[in-house]
Amino acid sequence: MTPTLPSGDQASDQDNWDNGRLAHKRQLLTEIILRNRLTALVVDGDTTCRVLEQLLLHSYGVQTQGVDNGRDAIALIASGVKFNLIIIDMILSVLNGLEATRQIRDMGVHCKMLGVTACSGESERQAFLAAGVDVFIEKPLDPEHLVPILRELDGQ
Amino acid sequence: MDLAALKTQLKNFVQSMFEEGVLDNQFSQIQALQDSTNPNFVEEVITLFCNDAERIINEINRNLGYQNVDFSNLDSYVHQLKGSSSSIGANRLKLACANLRQASDERNKEGCLQALQLITCEYCLLRRKFQALLHLERSIVELETNQK
Repeated sequence: MTPTLPSGDQASDQDNWDNGRLAHKRQLLTEIILRNRLTALVVDGDTTCRVLEQLLLHSYGVQTQGVDNGRDAIALIASGVKFNLIIIDMILSVLNGLEATRQIRDMGVHCKMLGVTACSGESERQAFLAAGVDVFIEKPLDPEHLVPILRELDGQ
Repeated sequence: MDLAALKTQLKNFVQSMFEEGVLDNQFSQIQALQDSTNPNFVEEVITLFCNDAERIINEINRNLGYQNVDFSNLDSYVHQLKGSSSSIGANRLKLACANLRQASDERNKEGCLQALQLITCEYCLLRRKFQALLHLERSIVELETNQK
């Protein structure tokens, strides 16, 4: 929705605040328009991270589901639900992110997988990539890393 | 205080948190996610984060109280706290977690205890500032509602 901008000399403080906020929002959340309906699974044991990751995806129009452990992720995928993107934390309860990734790939799932972790090092990166993720990043999940992936998935 | 002044006060307060390194740009992105469909998003996320952070800090405290510390268990708590801190933009808290992680990697219990002290201080500072921020936000919402 495009805001109606008042003329410069009539702009109230509130208008300036709201317009400034919108510009700020556009700047921070690099805008992309997805042509296709994309779906994503977020596998993260930390509630704050999972909520933020899902909302960031949602702000781009991606439909998301979230689970907090590796076993539930496997069960959801095994039930036949398909995703364009899986975002998975390395450290998970019940079934850790590395093993969950291996099992997801062993199930024949070839979608894009983005591995995330709070504490990254070269050994973590190598381990996660070897397990089967396509991209590995240190948290937080941000538009800089996410937008190119969404564009690629959308065929842009 | 009028609405514009309150909004300026909030903006300056958040800016001061950036300047002190308490918050980083990730918090700006969270603010940007708040809109008319999610009008209380920032408050909800802050509340969620603080509840989780307090629980984790208590667990780390408990773990370090044992004679034989389970460092792999400790690792997973530190990982969680660092992850949520970085996701909400709690910069200084995130850095304090890195200290604890290093001490835990070295299996240095004394180092872990010192790092936990710093984490607790940084968290208490952050929580106070978040409470002040939310108080300002609620005052703004109340004024806006009254003006409609």
